[in-house]
Amino acid sequence: MGNKINFWFISSLLISALVAIPIITVLGSFFEPISDYYNILKKTFLIDYLTNSLFLLIGVLFITFVIGVGCAYLVSFYIFPAVNFFKWALILSFAVPAYIYAYSLTAFFENYGTVFAILNNLFGEGNYNAYIPKFDGLLGAIIAISFSLFGYVYVLTRASFHYQSQNLVELGKNLGFSKKRSFFNIILPSARPAIVAGLSLVAMETLSDFGSVSYFGVSTLTTGIYSAWISFDDLTLANRLSSYLLIFIIGLFILENLSRKKAQFHTSSKGGHRTKTLIKLNGYKSFLAFIFCFTIFLISFLFPVTQMLYWTIIFPQHLENLDVFKLFLNTINLVIISSFFLIILAFISNYGNRVSKSKLLQILNTISISGYAIPGIILAVAFITFISWMDSNIINYFEMGSIKSFFIGSTLGLVLVYFIRFYSLANNGIKSGYAKINYSIDEGAYLLGYSKFKTFKNIHVPYLKNSIFLVSILLTIEIIKELPITLILRPFNFETFATKAYLFASQDLLEAAAAPSLILIIIASFFILITSRYILKE
Amino acid sequence: MTSLLSACFANEVNVFSSRHYESDIKLYKKFTDQTGIKVNVISGKDEALQKRILEEGKYSKADLYITSDAGNIVTFDNKGMFQNSMSPIVEKLVPSNFRGNNWVSITKRARILFYSPDRVTRDDLNNLSYEDLANSKWQGRIVIRQSNNIYNQSLVASLIFNNGKEETSKWAKGVVNNMSRAPKGNDRAQILAVAAGEADIAIANTYYYALMLSGNKGAEQKLAAKKVLPFFPNQNNRGTHMNISGGGILKYAPNKDNAIKLIEFLLTKEAQQHLINNTFEYSIIDGVEPHELIKNMGLDFKQDLETDIASYGKNQSDALEIMLNAKWK
Amino acid sequence: MKKNFLEINNVTFSASSQNKINNVSLTIENQGDIVCLLGPSGIGKTTILRTIAGLEKNNSGTITLKDRILSSKEIQVEPEDRNIAMAFQDNSLFPHYSVFDNIKFGAERNKNKKKGLEINDIIKLLHIENIKDKYPHQISSGEAQRASLARSLLSNPDLLLLDEPLSNVDQNFKEEIQVRLKQILTEQKITTIIVTHDSYEAFYLGNKCGIILDGHLKQYDDPYNIYHFPNSIEVVNFLNRGTLIEAKVTGENSLESNDLGKITGDFIKHYPKGSNVKLLLQPEDLEHDDASDLKLKVVDRKFRGTNFIYTLKTSSDKLISVFVHSHHIHQHEIEEKFGIKRPIHIDHIVCF
Repeated sequence: MGNKINFWFISSLLISALVAIPIITVLGSFFEPISDYYNILKKTFLIDYLTNSLFLLIGVLFITFVIGVGCAYLVSFYIFPAVNFFKWALILSFAVPAYIYAYSLTAFFENYGTVFAILNNLFGEGNYNAYIPKFDGLLGAIIAISFSLFGYVYVLTRASFHYQSQNLVELGKNLGFSKKRSFFNIILPSARPAIVAGLSLVAMETLSDFGSVSYFGVSTLTTGIYSAWISFDDLTLANRLSSYLLIFIIGLFILENLSRKKAQFHTSSKGGHRTKTLIKLNGYKSFLAFIFCFTIFLISFLFPVTQMLYWTIIFPQHLENLDVFKLFLNTINLVIISSFFLIILAFISNYGNRVSKSKLLQILNTISISGYAIPGIILAVAFITFISWMDSNIINYFEMGSIKSFFIGSTLGLVLVYFIRFYSLANNGIKSGYAKINYSIDEGAYLLGYSKFKTFKNIHVPYLKNSIFLVSILLTIEIIKELPITLILRPFNFETFATKAYLFASQDLLEAAAAPSLILIIIASFFILITSRYILKE
Repeated sequence: MTSLLSACFANEVNVFSSRHYESDIKLYKKFTDQTGIKVNVISGKDEALQKRILEEGKYSKADLYITSDAGNIVTFDNKGMFQNSMSPIVEKLVPSNFRGNNWVSITKRARILFYSPDRVTRDDLNNLSYEDLANSKWQGRIVIRQSNNIYNQSLVASLIFNNGKEETSKWAKGVVNNMSRAPKGNDRAQILAVAAGEADIAIANTYYYALMLSGNKGAEQKLAAKKVLPFFPNQNNRGTHMNISGGGILKYAPNKDNAIKLIEFLLTKEAQQHLINNTFEYSIIDGVEPHELIKNMGLDFKQDLETDIASYGKNQSDALEIMLNAKWK
Repeated sequence: MKKNFLEINNVTFSASSQNKINNVSLTIENQGDIVCLLGPSGIGKTTILRTIAGLEKNNSGTITLKDRILSSKEIQVEPEDRNIAMAFQDNSLFPHYSVFDNIKFGAERNKNKKKGLEINDIIKLLHIENIKDKYPHQISSGEAQRASLARSLLSNPDLLLLDEPLSNVDQNFKEEIQVRLKQILTEQKITTIIVTHDSYEAFYLGNKCGIILDGHLKQYDDPYNIYHFPNSIEVVNFLNRGTLIEAKVTGENSLESNDLGKITGDFIKHYPKGSNVKLLLQPEDLEHDDASDLKLKVVDRKFRGTNFIYTLKTSSDKLISVFVHSHHIHQHEIEEKFGIKRPIHIDHIVCF
């Protein structure tokens, strides 16, 4: 028994250590001397970083709350035209990363942009630019991030509404509440844990955003971190800024965790899970509901897709010049390697928890899944800091060649950091699969003479095939969209659709960014549709 | 004999380039066709490329680092990562103030003003200089991109070179005061802003204007470009601020000879013509006519050949400091 | 000294800190013996099985099977190495395999041992042919229990542990399955411990029964002895088979009760003359006699098919039960007087 525990401990320990690297590195920056830049920064832009990050956060939280809860409410309780379509169509917003959304906003609304072109073609020459609203800067970033992230609130709230007992609705009726009062006093509060969990996720991702804020020129903590590292060559400064960001994030992380646990207990067991009788809307109400959902769908998905499609069509040379196959191959490469390690280790960790029931193991497990909360850019920069530190110390000790090239600008380094970021997804995916296997099944297998390994191989793995598949798909979607880590750590001449789009956009070739953006959205949409049934059931 | 020998080895040259033109790739192909040397291009943003070269140090496989803006080149040179990139051919073709020992310019561009003829009079333009833009008469009428952009930093660096830190600091504060909006967008967005009526004068590089007029950015931007006119400032003193694209051979370049060959190739008339026809820049060597659209902007303007473009690098951190202190976003 | 097949020595079983069964010692002497454990639900009988199987740890005492120590303070053999099979209460069939494949898993362990039952025989014996290609979620809980049972039987272990194996099987079916189960176990000489709350089942299936009450193994004996010679009031109450009435010992073979008069019979345990005891009175101990002068009031009557059970109230308001054959000439209604033959003679007198 002793040997077997050691194995689980070691692998869980390793994973936790890996995840802990960025956190420790970031905190370690407090012990390093501060450069001059920090002082300049403090005088001038640090306040800006903080206030921009804060305004961004508040704006996004507000919008995602309204859109997410609103849509979830409508599709969960009512029947109106195309409601079944909207149920899954609204999830497609996940296919559009915020930075691509940002490009679409610019392309559409800028002076002499697509809106101008449309108006020009429809109504002839005119001074339209003055009347076209420009969604850029902080406002643009808020919009871009909101519409790409509201899906989290939507999905979680919808799940909560879905599992709410019919009793709640009837209770409202019995008390003579109007629909509005029912909503605010009964339905909304009961979904509170789910909503909070969704908003916490949104908040973490918002603070983590790099692509859209850097594109819009909004100075936030993430852009500050990036500049400190790449322009000022000041890793200490970069990590110091990271630590400020991490403090924000830790608070949110705790909040999200607590809420998610509460959300599980909120599924009411009384009255069981009777299918709700949905209320059919008539007349103008039905029309309003339709318009609301359609508008959100339009803005969050149709709009960026159409904009990108439009540009791909009128500037076809960029599509021709794009090595689509190679980009696709690169992405698939990353996905396969990452998924492979992620799933294996997620299995090992989950199995270890199942078999060992040790408290320490569970703590390690919690640490190892916290990587998802750390913004990608912090992960990447901290990782580089750590490797550089190791490199200079190891070189001193062992007089080996530089190890940096193994980890920085290599697929290995990239996969390692992906691992830290996405381990939670793999772990939770396998975990929820495992949760469906009653532990007595394991015991039954042991008592038929099955060794632990045989039980794992013949009982667990086949049963978890679906979970493995699902995790792979979700990982694919995330890796396709991932930007900051890939940007910083990728091997040279190794591009993904995301990095290609970003590079074009940041080099004043926005119309060239359209083709890779479009392809990214299409691939992501495809995978999202495959898993939509699972996402919705959750 | 050497070409036979070099044909025996993996004959290649590794170029790290932050220029993002498709036409460059086609040009490199021509080079390969002519010389048999394969050109491996690794493209990216400047900071990333530089960081990579620095990190890899002596393990770096980079032969040539090509970038825009003298500020970039010189600061990088000061980090000691270039080696002597000269050859007799290079020295003959490129004027001395457009090269250093370890780097050479390949093309030129100017950073000029674009104004709305509807709102800016001939009088306003009379002897207009960069320095004049701090004048309060331009309040709310100027657009320029953010301070983190290297082109702006080099412009300010050149002003420091010519006018000193203190003057330039005052100037920067004046310009910030005159901005019609907080800096956002790229150079083209500044031109578009003037066309749209959001400002009267934009500061941008010459090639962007030509690019818009060419229709490569769509019909609407061509339309917009027609609404503004270019103006070359400082004609009555030192001349218009010039900048360059260029590169240098890296210290630990594995294929130095091939790198020199490539540089020399890029300085041939044929290559220069190819380059500037596609990118709307000016040729660095004599005897090559720029693109029609550039010609239309006026070729007989006085270029600032006095300012040492190496100063763009030397004064860069001062320039940045001045801009930050002026709250230039 | 003859070695026992299974020895449980002074083991304390504990599922949680509240639920403990202390200092249990029991042995199974021979291979092929069947032991049934009875006790109220929640007391921890399942824990006993799980501990023997190695799924739970015991902190004290030893468990030895065929001369090999399985559990002790130092040693803890893994479940899969104990050659013990267990059928769980919630059956725990592998959800993604068909019933047939599930049962086949049992056969895999048996591969290298002597030939035992064939899989198809077991399936037939337990009446699960019609569901053998279905999946666990498609069958009833009773069918699942039988499938689980089949799987465990097929694995031919040294020791078989069954946790409420037939609790979900239909009543009309149950007896038949019990018969077949006993048949299989006896023929294959599979040593078995069965946990059940059904005392009839326990008495039928088991060579020995253990009664677990109040955190102890109260009595461990042949079923006959447990029924007829329960060793404590708690066991009596648990088996719910008789009433205890006050009586005074009047001689070597006699007692006197205020309610029922003189009672004669053989004492199992002798008490000094004059002592006040509680006498166990079972329904079959009393005979109905209309002619008797001992008449008690009928308060209830249950029809049980072969017999009636009359509940009578004594003068001291105690309720006692009496069996009367169904075919008795007449029936008595509630409130009527009911005669009991005097003097009462009980073959085995059990007193506390």
